[in-house]
Amino acid sequence: MADATLPAAPARRRRIASPMLRRILRDRLALAAAILLGLICIAAILAPWLAPFDPYNTTRRPFVPPRWSEGSLPQYWLGTDGQGRDMLSRLLYGTRLTLVMGLASVIVGGGIGALFGLLSAYYRRIDPYVMRFADILLSFPAILLGLALAAVVGPGLTAIVIALSIATIPDVARITRSAAIVVMGQDYMEAGRAVGLSDRTLIWRYLALNCLSSVFVFLTLRFGQIILIGAALSFLGLGVRPPEAELGMMASLGRDALFFAPHIAMLPSLMIVMIVLCANVLGDALRDLLDPRLRNT
Amino acid sequence: MNAETAIPSPHDPPLLEVDGLAKHFTMSSGLLGRAKGVVKAVDGVSFTLERGETLALVGESGCGKSTTGRLILRLIEPSAGALRFAGQDMLALRKHELRSLRRRMQIIFQDPFASLNPRLSVSDILAEPLLLHGLATPAEIPAKVAELLKVVGLGPQHAERFPHEFSGGQRQRIGVARALATKPDLVVCDEPVSALDVSIQAQVVNLLQDLQARFGLSYLFIAHDLAVVKHIATRVAVMYLGRIVELADKTTLYGQPRHPYTQALLAAAPLPSPGLRRERPVLQGDVPSPLNPPSGCTFHPRCPHAQARCAAEQPLLRRLDDGAQVACHFAETIPAPPPIPLSPENPVIARRFAALGDAAA
Repeated sequence: MADATLPAAPARRRRIASPMLRRILRDRLALAAAILLGLICIAAILAPWLAPFDPYNTTRRPFVPPRWSEGSLPQYWLGTDGQGRDMLSRLLYGTRLTLVMGLASVIVGGGIGALFGLLSAYYRRIDPYVMRFADILLSFPAILLGLALAAVVGPGLTAIVIALSIATIPDVARITRSAAIVVMGQDYMEAGRAVGLSDRTLIWRYLALNCLSSVFVFLTLRFGQIILIGAALSFLGLGVRPPEAELGMMASLGRDALFFAPHIAMLPSLMIVMIVLCANVLGDALRDLLDPRLRNT
Repeated sequence: MNAETAIPSPHDPPLLEVDGLAKHFTMSSGLLGRAKGVVKAVDGVSFTLERGETLALVGESGCGKSTTGRLILRLIEPSAGALRFAGQDMLALRKHELRSLRRRMQIIFQDPFASLNPRLSVSDILAEPLLLHGLATPAEIPAKVAELLKVVGLGPQHAERFPHEFSGGQRQRIGVARALATKPDLVVCDEPVSALDVSIQAQVVNLLQDLQARFGLSYLFIAHDLAVVKHIATRVAVMYLGRIVELADKTTLYGQPRHPYTQALLAAAPLPSPGLRRERPVLQGDVPSPLNPPSGCTFHPRCPHAQARCAAEQPLLRRLDDGAQVACHFAETIPAPPPIPLSPENPVIARRFAALGDAAA
């Protein structure tokens, strides 16, 4: 054997966490994104304790600018909105709702879509039916779906999450299917069958594991889109309704005051940009980590 | 490990009996999937494989050798024919029965870069069959994996690595280890060395031979390299367009090829000595499209001995006096190929070889 003479490599740790952390630490950009997103998440989770004011409490001091501009008030760090509500508190609560909405839709829609994609690649007989079903779903715009659902379920977070999940299913199903069909053609699928593995093991340990990275990257990109569509739905009054705070809705409410109180629209928009950007950068880094072939050893 | 391999007794049925095995693929086109034609990838293949034997299946690419191998393992469902493994009708098995039978029959793939799941470590890959067939408990896995790796010439330090960290030859060894994990009786080797470097080929072929001697394995060795086949096979079956055209002992087949196609194949094999050349009877034309195979004997358009009967009547595989089976109407009358006329050895090379020999001595 070629390397029988080489010194034995130190036994590698099986835990995924440690090489993953090591890699992230090496990748500065991913590290920054992870820290930022982590802070945003922590802030969102701790919103009830961090928020200095009640986010729904209106005051007689509307359009107060943030601390760094002229005419600010010391108690309002990020100023107030058109109804005199504290922007910092609303931003914390809004981020929370936005993250929940985005994550729930990505997990539900992505999970169902990926399952459809995997099954239709594995069982080629059902493939045409699953894919035509995906086409039908694809032909409904998410906004229209949201409209219909809001009419049935009533506007709110549930309607938005359902609409966004359904809108995510066909795309994820298609991407998973195309990745899975490539994997199906590999010899190791046949090897697994020759070993006698059950369909379920083959689908999970062979098929899903090998399609994971492309689906994962797509979902992180999708996460950003979902937040934007959710904001649009809220803007149309189909989703979260005032006075509830949601980043997209806050941005749309600030539209009228864009010229004399730009912070009302800018702050939630910046938060959306940061979340989406961090998610994308992290998604790319995670894809590399999940793929052992790209993992530095 | 070899305690379980039964000593073949004359009363045992052959390990594998293949009778009239066929696989027809329907080619369809267009939106509505109209049938365009039928490809008879494998068309009535019959043979038996005894315990401890190596039957080589050779032929040009596209002749159906790999499909035959997969049909035997029921990785592809046959269109027709019968398969008996140790006397048991394989086609009558239910799904879970088939899965437990898979313990006894394994496959080694051609491309070591595609045959290992890149997401699983070597230890996971080898543990899978052991756990599935109840051959080891999770606690025994590290020891069993180390043992398997040792059997194929790898070290225990390789267990936690992933396939991409290995070279082609090492990966093929892992593939061999996976096939051996369940202590099978039959291993289908689907061109196991043709994707490897020549030096690695020899290692892997020798490994396969050692393992056969050690564990009493039977190989169905699918290959197109006649030199490798000559080294490892007991019997050889030559396939052409989905059929076996000649099946004989290795010595008979290489020494006295009967079918014109076998003769042409052997004549086309390179000689492993520089300066040696033979006058080749070059085979005319290409392999015909399996979508539209020639009438009668499918080889007749390329056959130097073809006669009118060959285009009309399909020759069946029949047994000759010395036990060789040939599918040719004129197997008895076709002249044996002339002893390979070797062109005189290049004197310069001969001198250098002599010098090398002196230096070594």
